[in-house]
Amino acid sequence: MSDQEGGSSFEVGKLWEIANSKRVTRRTVLKGAAAMGALAALGPIAAACGGSESDTAASPSATAPKKGGHIRSGINGGNTKDTLDGQVSYIDAGKKTEQIYEPLLGWTPDSKLELKLAESYEISADGIEYTVRLKPDLTFHDGKSVTADDVIYSYQRVLDPDTAALATNHLTALKPSGIKKLDDLTVRFTLEQPDMSFEEVLAYYGCCIVPVGFESPKGVEGAIGTGPWKVTSYFPGEQTEFVANRDYWGEGPYADKLTMIEFVDPTAKLNALLGGSVDHLAILDTSQVPTIESTPGYSILEAKTGGWDPFTMAMDLKPFDDVRVRQAFRLIVDRPQMIEQAHGGYSWVANDMWAVFDPGYPKDLPQRVQDLEQAKSLLKQAGYDNDLNVVLNCSTATGANDPAAAQVFKEQAKGAGVTVKVDKVDPNAYWNEGNYLSYPFAMTMWGTNSYLWLCRAALFPDGPYYETHWKDDEWEKLVLEAYKTVDDAKRNELVSQCQTIEYERGAYIQYQFHIMLDAHSDKLQGLVADNFGAEGATKSRFNLMYFV
Amino acid sequence: MPPLLKIILRRLALGLLTMLVISVLVFAATQALPGDTATAILGKEATPERVKVLREQLGLDRPLLVQYVDWAGGILRGDAGDSLVGTGEPVNQLLGRRVMNTVALMLMAALIAIPPALVLGSLSGRFRDGLFDGAVSVGSLTFAALPTFVIGILLMLLFATQILHILPAVSRVEPTASVWSQMDLLWLPALTLALASAPFTVRMLRGSMIEVLESDYVQMARLKGAPERIVLQRHSLPNAIIPVIQVIALDLAWMAGGVVTVEYLFNYPGIGASLVNAVSNRDVPVVQAIVLLIATVYVVFNLTADILTILISPRLRTGLQ
Repeated sequence: MSDQEGGSSFEVGKLWEIANSKRVTRRTVLKGAAAMGALAALGPIAAACGGSESDTAASPSATAPKKGGHIRSGINGGNTKDTLDGQVSYIDAGKKTEQIYEPLLGWTPDSKLELKLAESYEISADGIEYTVRLKPDLTFHDGKSVTADDVIYSYQRVLDPDTAALATNHLTALKPSGIKKLDDLTVRFTLEQPDMSFEEVLAYYGCCIVPVGFESPKGVEGAIGTGPWKVTSYFPGEQTEFVANRDYWGEGPYADKLTMIEFVDPTAKLNALLGGSVDHLAILDTSQVPTIESTPGYSILEAKTGGWDPFTMAMDLKPFDDVRVRQAFRLIVDRPQMIEQAHGGYSWVANDMWAVFDPGYPKDLPQRVQDLEQAKSLLKQAGYDNDLNVVLNCSTATGANDPAAAQVFKEQAKGAGVTVKVDKVDPNAYWNEGNYLSYPFAMTMWGTNSYLWLCRAALFPDGPYYETHWKDDEWEKLVLEAYKTVDDAKRNELVSQCQTIEYERGAYIQYQFHIMLDAHSDKLQGLVADNFGAEGATKSRFNLMYFV
Repeated sequence: MPPLLKIILRRLALGLLTMLVISVLVFAATQALPGDTATAILGKEATPERVKVLREQLGLDRPLLVQYVDWAGGILRGDAGDSLVGTGEPVNQLLGRRVMNTVALMLMAALIAIPPALVLGSLSGRFRDGLFDGAVSVGSLTFAALPTFVIGILLMLLFATQILHILPAVSRVEPTASVWSQMDLLWLPALTLALASAPFTVRMLRGSMIEVLESDYVQMARLKGAPERIVLQRHSLPNAIIPVIQVIALDLAWMAGGVVTVEYLFNYPGIGASLVNAVSNRDVPVVQAIVLLIATVYVVFNLTADILTILISPRLRTGLQ
């Protein structure tokens, strides 16, 4: 695949792309300088066409998507514990189940709610009744029509404690008796109390719609959904094969077949891409970026996600019961430095507030930076004078880079007179009772979440992830009010105030959001960067991808 | 009863005892690790209620002795139980394919490694301290010193990704077809295993050959005027090879044990990666099955090596009578 015009067009193309890029970062400026240098130094030596560029802006395709082809995607995995039960499988296995099953609503790549199986929905003025109308003529993979009965069965199954479904914790406001059929295409959910996060329950991938009588599938038998791909073979830990659902209600799929191949070793995954065994690679290791950038015919897709790996401080345990200590610890972190050293630069700076894509996110609060003097002063007020010792528990269970971040914190803390002992815990032991949720000072991980959704999980005592033992009366009043407020503007204002309280006196030290990277052959296009991030930069929207 | 048969039976009985002891030890070790299958599956989602429900479903709440005896009874019936994770596939089915993959890789590596190693070893022993011996020594010591995965990466760079592009960099075998029909994917991992294990055979044979060539009966054969070729083939090699058989048996058992780094590097679905995966999931039936399999391989290969040694060595053969 050689470019007729030679190498200089490659450099010009790069400059053009950088000039037009919506996001000029330090990286793109440096690349521009390098490109200029290369242009000046090199003559028109033949180079392969296309070159490698970061797709930070969506480039318009010249031709309409062609149909056909077999997409092969290399993903992280290799674990045999996945299943194809869409209501039970976790994020990692969810790459596969999200091809097969769909919920009533969904999320757009920029974190807004959108309609999926639902044609429309209404929320009553008191926030208790949600009436959802299905799109007509929807079918499951076996040809059966999707009706209100299927919706009711799906939600009953999620509510059943024996299913051990993912969504159980988020459905506290709904009882099995609260789901009623109004007609063949309409279901009414009546909540026990007003709860505006129920909208997100309808969009949660764990609340996917399955046919009446659906049981946990053994292998591919019974894995029936409405999604763009039908599963044809399944080898847990190795690979999963799909064919396109030609009756899919939404866009695509353009390709005919999809195979997701699992890799334990990132080197093997990269070699598979460069060797042509796969067309797409989910979650590129930051150390592998130079290889892709210097190999023509391959590109990187970057996604700024809302996923975060923070430090947690248990505010009912010493020394974090003193708000001044918590504030001091947040001032210890040199955020850009920690991002550079722990994540190789592949994160964007956070400001101790995590619901960054919420309409109510307080954008105007000043970005927190390192301030060791202020930190020392706060600690002194709290009674510590260069003699504060803490233990920081970390593990690769929360993220491969998190132990490195812990080490960086330890070094940075010295400047404030705090001595940190880093205790690295075995990943299989980290989440056990007595460990996680009991650690005074530790780390955790979260995907992109909206405020009201995550609060229920992590900031209330009865939530399953009550990591920081957070308790604040003013905050509690505001957030409970927010759950009940149907009016969007008013609710966003309340959420904004809640987030501001966490900014001032919260118990997380959150310094970053993840930047996800995917790599792909230039023959495969149609990849869309997604805020969600847990499964890679594209959130596995394989139905949109096509070959050129 | 022929004495050889008596020896075999006794060794087999000892082997069975070994396997029993191993199964108990591995069971205990897996239980001693923090967490169990339920916590491994649920990870961060492991609320106490969900863990309890899952433990009951998997039978992990039964007393340890009951769990072990239940499993052992199954094994004696030929039923290795069901995997505790994923779709609960029967272990026999789950491992069947991966065992076949590992066997295929082992055979290919052995075929690549053993004949050249025998030739190199005996010749460098015969022509010791010459240029040929020097070259072979440097080569074999280098490869013996390099970790297996480094050899794998070097081969990958040389043949697949950087210098030449004649071999596939990833050896992912299609699970839907038989591994025997996809042997061309196995070149790099097989070469890696061969280069990692051959040096020991070469060195062993070289040393053994040197010793044999200085023995009385070889001097005798030469004095009798036997051509050098006969001296090597009929008088020296059968004796020199005896210690080497033990080394080869151990090498093969090592390969059969599933070399995890090679499997990870080339994404090869063998039993090494399965074992690591099963341990991290605390999937006890799978762990036990794989460990027993590997133990059986060691016992059988060692027994075979000993029998071959007896058969080849005339002294030991007559000693049987």
